Amino acid sequence: MNSKSTLKRRDARKGAAFSSIYVIYSVIFWGYPFVWLFVLAFSKWKYFGSPKFNGIYNFLKLFNDPVFWKSFLNIMNFMLYFIPLVLVGSLLFAMGMKRLKYGKTFVGLAFLLANISSGVAYSIMFSKMFSENGPLNQMLDKLFGVRIPWFTNPQWALFSIVIIVVWKFVGYYGLIIYSGLNSIPKEVYEAAKIDGATRWEQFRFITLPLLNPSIVMILVFSITLSFGIFTEPYMITGGGPLRSTLTPMMLMYTTAFQKMDPAYSATMSILVALMSFGIIWLTRKIVERDVSLT
Amino acid sequence: MKSKINSFIIHFVMIFLALVWVYPYFWLFISSVKPSDQIYNNFIPTKFTLEHYQFIFNSADKMDRPFIRAFFNSIFVSFTVTFLVVITSALVSYALAKLEFKGRKKIIDFIIFQMVFPAFMFTIPMYILIRNLNLVDTYTALIVPSMISGWGIFMMQQSFKTTPNDFIEAAKLDGAGDLWIIFRIMLPLNKSAVSIVSLFTFIGIWDNFMWPLIVIRNYNKMPLSVLLASFNTQYGAYVGPILAGSVIQTLPMLIIFIAFRKYYLEGISITLK
Repeated sequence: MNSKSTLKRRDARKGAAFSSIYVIYSVIFWGYPFVWLFVLAFSKWKYFGSPKFNGIYNFLKLFNDPVFWKSFLNIMNFMLYFIPLVLVGSLLFAMGMKRLKYGKTFVGLAFLLANISSGVAYSIMFSKMFSENGPLNQMLDKLFGVRIPWFTNPQWALFSIVIIVVWKFVGYYGLIIYSGLNSIPKEVYEAAKIDGATRWEQFRFITLPLLNPSIVMILVFSITLSFGIFTEPYMITGGGPLRSTLTPMMLMYTTAFQKMDPAYSATMSILVALMSFGIIWLTRKIVERDVSLT
Repeated sequence: MKSKINSFIIHFVMIFLALVWVYPYFWLFISSVKPSDQIYNNFIPTKFTLEHYQFIFNSADKMDRPFIRAFFNSIFVSFTVTFLVVITSALVSYALAKLEFKGRKKIIDFIIFQMVFPAFMFTIPMYILIRNLNLVDTYTALIVPSMISGWGIFMMQQSFKTTPNDFIEAAKLDGAGDLWIIFRIMLPLNKSAVSIVSLFTFIGIWDNFMWPLIVIRNYNKMPLSVLLASFNTQYGAYVGPILAGSVIQTLPMLIIFIAFRKYYLEGISITLK
């Protein structure tokens, strides 16, 4: 009895010791930055001296900053293309995979290879492929006699970035949906067939509702991803032309490290985070359904 | 009959799309071994050349862009971070999954709470911390901010919980200490969680761009991703070498992915739960 309780106490001490690694680390590398984030948001500071409290000035400035709102609209514009494309794309991919008898591994790997491409390297790769005289435009010129200003026209530039991000993520999201499809029991479809449901009805009333958790997950992933876009515009367009690909991340980076205004940039990061939470919350509210087979 | 034709069409379309999806890689690789004047013009070059790779390895040094060094910087930083993340996650997860102590539940809740905040909120304050610690332009600045991962602890902890206690009790009867139990019993028994954490950590660090761009300005300490980006902006006309550099940046990720692809797929299905 006595030895058991000392064992327990020793366990408790060891548990506390091992997990203190994480607790101490979090205090330094999470807590300290977290405090700084909020100190900065309410002060004026340009890397030197100590921050001077200036109330909600940063927030007021932000609300009246057309460049910031431009970057926000850019990301909305980005999602307007990206989310439908990647969602429909990954659904089709998953349903195609489901019906493959041969070459499943090959197709899955080919699409996943895109997903693990390096941000810098694939930006370079596509900026060369899509360049004014690049291979893609040469092919289009030969076939249809047109050349597309991929990265030089404002709307096209944003859309081209959408294309390459879809290239990168459609396989990954597709596999998420694919494993969702695999978890739907065959009997459900067989029962529906007996009841005379058409293919479309089966898709609309069985597949789509039962995929709801996977779809919500993909939506949350893609919204988070969109707000974090940095490498592609930084490498390919530099935010242009006409600020059309200036993302909030790009703006935060230039504000903090080129215009040397970390306080303003920190304020932006808080507002951007709040907006992305808001959009995710709204999406879940609209899309998420409580589904189960029982 | 009709369904056979349908099936054929689907196979054809999917395999065609798969080829389209890998085509950019193919183009990148082929272009990196073409003579400069043929990169945009000839699909199949008249001859293959390694001049761009030679350029990257020899001449780029004189342009202040030490690619070989950058490659080894990336290797060093990625392996170190991966190693540290696995070790620390194992220690903490063991405590969280197998030891009873006060505050255990609170720590797990806190890890989940932490994961809610997007990383970009911490970039600037983290830079300020690194700057205050005088660590700008050091490898430490690349390693320390990622050496413990809440996500890694969470994943391993979930897996450790499923390991039966009997293994631990048996080892204890044989006189094994906790560290022995963690590294000789828990890690091998939870190979797939360990592989998932290592794989995603390695790829994430190798491909990390914004953070090293912010904290490293010395060309000798840059990881490959940042060095390649700076070469691309400053010497944009050297298309061949830039593409060769992109191949070098991509290859380790592809190799690791192909070697661990089984765990990558498992990682996807775990995130679903």
